[in-house]
Amino acid sequence: MNDFSIPSSQSTPEVRSDWAAGQLFMAGDSYPENSFDMFQQVFEWIEGYLSEGGKPLSLELRLLYLNTSSVKAMMDVFDLLEAAHQDGAQVQVNWYYDPQNERVAELAEEFKEDCSFTFNIISHN
Amino acid sequence: MDNIDLFAMRERFNSQQIMLCFNGPISRSLIEEIGNALRNYLAADHAHPSAAMDVFAVYIEMTQNISHYTRSKGWNEQEAGATVVVSRNEENRYVVSAGNLIESGDGDSLVAAIGQLAQLDKAGLKAAYKEQLRRPRDAERASGAGLGLIDIARKSSAPLQASLQPAADGRSFFSLRAVI
Repeated sequence: MNDFSIPSSQSTPEVRSDWAAGQLFMAGDSYPENSFDMFQQVFEWIEGYLSEGGKPLSLELRLLYLNTSSVKAMMDVFDLLEAAHQDGAQVQVNWYYDPQNERVAELAEEFKEDCSFTFNIISHN
Repeated sequence: MDNIDLFAMRERFNSQQIMLCFNGPISRSLIEEIGNALRNYLAADHAHPSAAMDVFAVYIEMTQNISHYTRSKGWNEQEAGATVVVSRNEENRYVVSAGNLIESGDGDSLVAAIGQLAQLDKAGLKAAYKEQLRRPRDAERASGAGLGLIDIARKSSAPLQASLQPAADGRSFFSLRAVI
C-alpha cells in the first residue's frame, strides 16, 4: 500500500499518510461542496492499513472549519476507527486546536462523544 | 433605463450596516471567493475568532444549499442565482441572509421545517443534528437542506426567520435570515 499526500487548497485540508509510522495527518479547513473524492482516499488508506492488522493507527488532526458535508465524512472515518477498536485494533485520534478558537474544540468534542477509543483534544499555541 | 444611483445605494448599504452583498449566478468558485472576502472583512472588523467562524459557516451552508438545490433541479445559470447579504443589526450582531428561487411546493416544506427548528432549544437542536448526521445519505430530503439548516440554527443566537414571496412559473423566492 502506497502513502499518499494531498496539498491543501482554499476549501480542502492538507492530507498526508505515513504507513511506516502508522499515522495519518489532516490539517486546515474542509468545506468543498462535494467532499466525497477527497475523503474516499482517506477512507481507502485507513481500511488498507487496518486490514493488515496488528499495527496501531493514530490520526493527527489540525482541522479547523468543517462544513456539514465534511462533518458527515469525518463521522464515517471515526465510525471506521470505532469498528476497528471494537475488533481489538489500537487506534487513537489526537486533535490539536488553538485555544483562541473554541469552536474547533467544540467540534472535536462532539465527535469524541460517539467514540470509545482514545480521542485526545489538545490545546496548542 | 434609469441610471444607477451608486451614491444612493452606498447610503442605503451604509445605513443598513451591510458589509457584503451579492446578487447573481453563483458557482462553487464564486462561493469560495466571496467567502474569502468575507473572512478578510471579519478579520479587519476584529470579529472574535468564534464569531467569525460562525458567520463564515452560516454563509457556506446557505450558499452551498442554494447551489445544491439549483443543480438538483437542473436550472440554468440565470435561474440558479442567489442573493446574499452579510450585515450587522441594531445590536451589532452579524446577520447572514440569503435568498433564491425555489419551487413553491419545496418552499412550503422548507418554511415548515424551519418553523419546527425554531421550537427547539440548544439541546434539542443538537439531538436533531446528530440524528440527521446518522441518517443515510440517500434518505435525505429532496431539498437536500437537512443537516445544513440545523447547523445554521445551532450557530444562530435567535430562531431562523424564513419567508416566501410569490414569483413566476410556480416558483417562489425563498429568504432565510440568521442572526449570529
